[in-house]
Amino acid sequence: MMAPEAPPPRVRDPYRFWRAALLGYAGIFFLFLYLPLIVIVVLSFNDSDATGFPMRGLTLKWYTRVLTTPDMLAAFANSASVGAVAAILSTGLALLLGLGFRHELRGKSAVLNLIIMPILLPGIVGGIVLLVFFGYLGLRSELWTTVLVAHVNYVLPFAFLTLYPRLHRFDRSLEEAAMDLGARPWAIFRHIVWPLVRPGVIATAMFAFTLSFDEFIRTVFVTGYERTIPVLFWLLIVDEIAPHLPAMAVVIILVSTAVSLAAFLIGRRADRSA
Amino acid sequence: MPADKAKNAVAVAIHRVSKRFGSVAALDDVSFDIMRGEFFSLLGPSGCGKTTLLRSIGGFEAPTAGDIQIDGQSVLHLAPYARPTNMIFQHLALFPHMNVRDNVAFGLRMKRTDAATTARRVEEALALVRLEGYGDRGIDQISGGQKQRVAMARALVNDPAVLLLDEPLGALDLQLRLQMQVELRRLQRQLGATFVFVTHDQGEAMAMSDRIAVMNSGRIQQIGTPAEIYERPVNRFVATFIGHANLIEGRVAEQRADGTALIDVEGLRVAGTAQALAAPGASMLAVMRYEKLQIEAGGNASVAGTGTSTLATVSEKTYMGAALRFVCRPGVGPTLTVDAPNTEAGRAICEGDSVRVSWAASEINLLAE
Repeated sequence: MMAPEAPPPRVRDPYRFWRAALLGYAGIFFLFLYLPLIVIVVLSFNDSDATGFPMRGLTLKWYTRVLTTPDMLAAFANSASVGAVAAILSTGLALLLGLGFRHELRGKSAVLNLIIMPILLPGIVGGIVLLVFFGYLGLRSELWTTVLVAHVNYVLPFAFLTLYPRLHRFDRSLEEAAMDLGARPWAIFRHIVWPLVRPGVIATAMFAFTLSFDEFIRTVFVTGYERTIPVLFWLLIVDEIAPHLPAMAVVIILVSTAVSLAAFLIGRRADRSA
Repeated sequence: MPADKAKNAVAVAIHRVSKRFGSVAALDDVSFDIMRGEFFSLLGPSGCGKTTLLRSIGGFEAPTAGDIQIDGQSVLHLAPYARPTNMIFQHLALFPHMNVRDNVAFGLRMKRTDAATTARRVEEALALVRLEGYGDRGIDQISGGQKQRVAMARALVNDPAVLLLDEPLGALDLQLRLQMQVELRRLQRQLGATFVFVTHDQGEAMAMSDRIAVMNSGRIQQIGTPAEIYERPVNRFVATFIGHANLIEGRVAEQRADGTALIDVEGLRVAGTAQALAAPGASMLAVMRYEKLQIEAGGNASVAGTGTSTLATVSEKTYMGAALRFVCRPGVGPTLTVDAPNTEAGRAICEGDSVRVSWAASEINLLAE
C-alpha cells in the first residue's frame, strides 16, 4: 500500500510582474483609442447649444436635426451615390487588372508599382495635382466629373490590393478543366471564375465604398457646389462649432462601420469557401 | 464508342515533338504512336517531361517543334476546348460551387447538348462509375474516392477520343489507390477507350498498362509492355528506375553461340543474355534483379566457371514481410543483394553464414555501356 501522495508543489509564475505590466499597457492603449469615440457618442446626446461638457440632460434633437436638414440629406445622398459608383468602377477595374496580372507579362512589377504608387502620394499633394489637372482640361468641379474621378483614382489601388490576393489564390486548374470540357474564355469566366470570386468582389466593393465615403482631402480640392459628407462636416467646423456635430459624427461612424463589418463578414465567408 | 473506330489504328501520333522552356528542353525530339483502345502510361521521375507531353496532347502546352495528331488529324492549332481529348487533372479540379451532377454535365452543356440527352448521359456516366444517386451531393460532401469517380465521369461523359490522366491517384492512400487502379482498368476495358496515363509510380504503371513509355530528361528511354520493360531493360536508367537490381560492370570474357555471354567482374564470372553481340574485352553492365538470384545455405562451388553461381557470406539480412533480403559478399567480386521468398529455409539463413548465390543466365541482362 502506497502512502497517499502529497499534492505537487505549486509553480510560481516567474513572469507575473511582466504579465501585469503588459495588461496595464494594453488597457491604456485601448483607453486612448476609444475614449474620444465614447466622448463623442455621449456628447451627441447632450441637451446643450454649446458643444462639449458639462452635460445638460439627454436629447435626441441633434439626431433629428442631422437627419432632417436638407443640406445634410443632400450631402448624404451625394456621398452615398458617388461612393457606390466609385466602388463599382474601381472594383471592376481592379478585377480586370487582377485577372490580367495572373498571367506572365513583361514589365509586370513595374506596372504593379505604378498602380500602387498613388497610395504613397500624400493626400494634399494628390488633391493639388488633380486640381491642376482638371484646370488644364477645363473641367468644372462637379460631383459626377471631378469628384468621381478623384475618388476612383484614390480607391483603385486599395481595391486592387484587396482583390488581387484572392484572384491569385484562385486555382488555375479549374479554368483549365473548364477549357478542357469545351468552355471558351467568356464561358469560363461566367460559369467558373465569376461565381467563385463574387463574394471577394462584393467585399472589395464595400471596402471601396467606405474609402470613398470618408475621403476628404482630395475631394475638398475638386468639389463644386454639391458637397459630400466629409466636406460639409469640415465647413460646419470652420463656420461654427455646430451643436449637432457630435451627432453627425456618430452617424458617419455608424455608416462606415456597418459597411466595413458587412464587407469583413462577406470576405471571411469567401475565404472559408475558397 | 462508335463502332467504326477500329482497333490497331493509331489514336495519338507524337512526331518529333520538342518543348523548350528557355534553354531547358522539357521534351527532346520525342516520337511514338499510341494505339486505339490502349492503356498507355508515361512513366518517369518528376521533371522527366511526362506531364509536359500529356499537357501538349491536351492543348495546355504548345510544343516548340514537331506535330501531334489525333485520329490522323494534327491538333496543334486547336485550343483545348476544341480538341477531342479530355483530361483528369492531378488534383481533379472539380468545380467546388457545383454539385456532382452539374460537374458531370458541364462538358455537354458547353457543347449545347439538349437537356434531355444531357440528363440521360449524365445518369449513364454516374452509373458507369458507380455513383448512382449522388447527383445532388456537393463536392465537399463526398469522399476522396468518390471525387475520383466524379472526375472520371465528368471526362468520360464527353466520349473523348483520348482520355488523359495526370497522376490522378497520387493523393490517395494506398488501399484506395489500389482500388482505383482496378476501377480505372475496368472502365478502360469496358469502354475500349484510349487512356494516356502519367505516373511516377512504376508499380502503378506495371499493374495497369498495356504499354509503358519510360521517360527521362525529356527523352523516351524505352517503350514496351510491362514485361518487356521489366525483363529486358535497354539501358541503365530503365534497369534502375523499375525494380531493384544489382548493376555490375565487367568486361566480356566469352561470347557464346547461344546468345549468352560471360563477363568478368573483379574476378567474379557472370553469365547473362546480351541483347547485342559484344567483342571480348568490351565493357558491359550486368542487370541482376534481386529476386532473380537464389540463395541457399552452405553449398559447394561444384559449378564454378559456368558463371551462374558463387559462394558468398551473408553480411546483412532484412526481414521485409513477403520477402527476405540478403546482402552477400562473394569471395571475389562485388556485393550481391538477393531477395528470397519468405520460406523456412530462407529464415534459417543468418548473418555471417556461408551461402551459395545462383542465377539462370537467361534472367540476367547484359547491356552494352
